[in-house]
Amino acid sequence: MFELEATADLLLMNPQAKASMEPAPTETRVEVVLVTAALAGDRDGFGRLYDMYASMIHGILLARVPRGEVDDLVQDIFLHAFKKLHTLRDYAAFGPWIAMIARNRAMDFHRRSRETVEVTDDLRSTDNSSTRAKEILELICDLPQAYRETLVLRLVEGMTGPEIAERTGLTPASVRVNLHRGMKQLREKLGYPEGV
Amino acid sequence: MNEEYLWDKSGEPDPEIQQLETILGTLRYQPKPLELPDVIQPASQRQKNYLPWLAIAATLLLAMLAGIVWLSFRSKGLEKKYEAYAPTPAVQNPAPTSIEVPTPNREEAVNKTAPTPRQRRDFVARHRPRPVQLVPSQEALLAKEQLMSALKLASEKLNLAEKKVQGPTPNQIRNQHKVG
Repeated sequence: MFELEATADLLLMNPQAKASMEPAPTETRVEVVLVTAALAGDRDGFGRLYDMYASMIHGILLARVPRGEVDDLVQDIFLHAFKKLHTLRDYAAFGPWIAMIARNRAMDFHRRSRETVEVTDDLRSTDNSSTRAKEILELICDLPQAYRETLVLRLVEGMTGPEIAERTGLTPASVRVNLHRGMKQLREKLGYPEGV
Repeated sequence: MNEEYLWDKSGEPDPEIQQLETILGTLRYQPKPLELPDVIQPASQRQKNYLPWLAIAATLLLAMLAGIVWLSFRSKGLEKKYEAYAPTPAVQNPAPTSIEVPTPNREEAVNKTAPTPRQRRDFVARHRPRPVQLVPSQEALLAKEQLMSALKLASEKLNLAEKKVQGPTPNQIRNQHKVG
């Protein structure tokens, strides 16, 4: 079905698929310009990069660490990226680069403060305002990691499939497959009827 | 489930996905200004970290120096070895006597005794120290014979004493009637 279509699109490379899978060239140029400006000491340039990618980093972290820690970690990651910006070789690949920093930072977080995470999570779950959202997020976090991240970026951050592919550096085909499989598993967990 | 809507929000909206978007949208990122400390500056490309390269270069330099020092010590040690094996001038040039015999080819002889390093190596091989064989004198032979006879006598006495201490052997006791 959807999965097969994605594979067929890849194999046949029809114009529609090609158009949806090619990254937007304008944005890439913007990133190169902004990274160059930031390296030259332009803080506003880095601020614009932050505006562009903060939601993606937020989504990546939300799929991995407790919600209460996400905002601070987003700031930490951008601060770290600002310090290490000179190590970035391909300026156009700023998105995949900072996404990888976020994933590594999330792993470090779990390594360092496993006990603290569990306690904070329990304490914050008493908030009733968005209980349903948290429950669904927990269900998403129980899914395999590849599906988890893509689903959070799509359903929480509101990004489209092509946007996710372009910003994270994943191929559009794998994002499409991850979305489809992840959604299927989430529907099963939520108890939605099959084929609706 | 509308798969196109899931992919790029195109086509007819899927109610299930829309519902999930609405619920989960409450957790969406709330924009906050980035707080960059004034102290921190991005390192430009020119200020790359050259420390690893410097460390590698220093290690190579140290290794080369160590090699040079080792080679020089080794060559010095070999020279000392050759000197130790080289013939002493006293052996080659005997002590001068009161009567000097004119030797017309003396310089040639001296030149022959001062070999080049290559010749010296051959020379060392020829003049290995050999054990000295002494010819015993008459007195020494006599003394040796006396010593041997004294040792034999002492050995006999010791054997006798041992037999006395141990007593007669069982066979001797058994065959005593035959002896009488």
